[in-house]
Amino acid sequence: MALYKFGRKKTVDGVEQDSVVVVKDLGNGRTLCIPFANDNTDYQEYLKWVEAGNTAEAAD
Amino acid sequence: MSKLKTNTIQHTGGSADNITLDNSQNVTIEGNATVDGTSTLTGNVTASGNLTVSGTTTISGYHPTTSRSNRNLIINGGFQIAQRSVSNNTAGSQSTYHTLDRWMTQIQAGTISEMRNDLTSSDTGPWQKGFRNYMRLLNQSGIGAGSAQYAEIDQRIEAQNVAQSGWDYTSSSSNITLSFWIRASVAQAYVAVIYTSDGTGRHYPFEIKDSGGSTLSANTWTKITKTIPGNSGITVNNDTGRGLTLSFLAAYGTNWTSNSGSFDSWNTTGGGNDRFPDMTNTWATTTNATFDITGVQLEVGSVATDFEHRSYGDELARCQRYYQVVVRASDYSSGIAPICNVIGYQTNNVFGVVDLPVTMRSEPTLDAVSSTAYWKCFRNAGSGDFNSIQLDQCSNSHVELNFYGVSSGTSIDADQPGWVRSNSSSAFIGLQSEL
Repeated sequence: MALYKFGRKKTVDGVEQDSVVVVKDLGNGRTLCIPFANDNTDYQEYLKWVEAGNTAEAAD
Repeated sequence: MSKLKTNTIQHTGGSADNITLDNSQNVTIEGNATVDGTSTLTGNVTASGNLTVSGTTTISGYHPTTSRSNRNLIINGGFQIAQRSVSNNTAGSQSTYHTLDRWMTQIQAGTISEMRNDLTSSDTGPWQKGFRNYMRLLNQSGIGAGSAQYAEIDQRIEAQNVAQSGWDYTSSSSNITLSFWIRASVAQAYVAVIYTSDGTGRHYPFEIKDSGGSTLSANTWTKITKTIPGNSGITVNNDTGRGLTLSFLAAYGTNWTSNSGSFDSWNTTGGGNDRFPDMTNTWATTTNATFDITGVQLEVGSVATDFEHRSYGDELARCQRYYQVVVRASDYSSGIAPICNVIGYQTNNVFGVVDLPVTMRSEPTLDAVSSTAYWKCFRNAGSGDFNSIQLDQCSNSHVELNFYGVSSGTSIDADQPGWVRSNSSSAFIGLQSEL
């Protein structure tokens, strides 16, 4: 199981939208929902993880 | 009426002039002057040394050369605010925020306890200066002095706050001054470091010593002041990124040190790890050793002024730019706390918007603890329990929350309005945009 998973998607006007967050599971019911925002340091950490060759799990 | 004409006045027993007069009506007093009555000075007065006034001073115009308010670049320097927790056991490799707002703890291995403790009147020094809290690192396991080890307390300062502080950081004649109270159970030389992040990173390390230049005594609060000059190699962007980092080091392994770096000067950090001379690591190998800090102030200028005490509310608001709690259900005896109004987007899938009390540094991360029936949605004279929460769209000042996964109760339909509360004392929602 990947460290990160794309957030669930909404369907708007019949069109499924892309995920707007990536979810990091910290265990014991605790999660971080990280927006795709360049100045968010959690997102920067996620991008480093991707750069290292990892891929987030697909959304539910 | 007679007139005395002379150029100098000298005491009969002295060898040098006491008073000198020139032909431009200037008077120079070489020694101290004592005025028993009232003295009226109508021109400018320049005191090149210290000016001591034992009585009340009334000044009709006051123009300090450094800011008197908002002068402390450190947030939560008195360690009042601990939104996340007042204590935490921090184990393994960690670089994150667990307890006191704005103060990051970093360790490489082992277990430390970090905590906010109360000062008492027996804490001579900081108590009398109005401090009531301090931060403690407790070396719970004896983390060891491995070469890769470190144990430190850091604060990362937002770049635009440094860029617009008034410090000409590229000039070696422009200074910032750091002051703080420190106490440790192990008497050794500790180190503090200021780092820059933009451009080519620089760091200024110095050993924490008392005013006499001696290593700190064990278990004694000591006030430290350190004035640090600018440097032409420093870059600080005017943005929301990391500007300066202040680090207090209880331990630092030899992977990060060598004799190629120098104390009391700016070093180029670059990609290298050899940052300053090796540090004594007795603290690291001493089980239950403590390292305490309070009253941290970093200000523009060459003088450590008295700490800028702020109200709890003022300090909290400053912290909330980087972290804020939306709901911590355990704060309420019932475990129930209001969160937001919602509307059904689809069956058992509701959205609500939370307006944030303080604009955050960036679009924040949602930090949530959720499980079965942690959230209760009320609508149309009924309720249903949700299991899950997720962040949807957000800005620096508003976040959309999505609750879904009904576990019990009555379902909520699309277009139905309602509101959501926490429904478990373990439910938690926080928002973070730390540096």
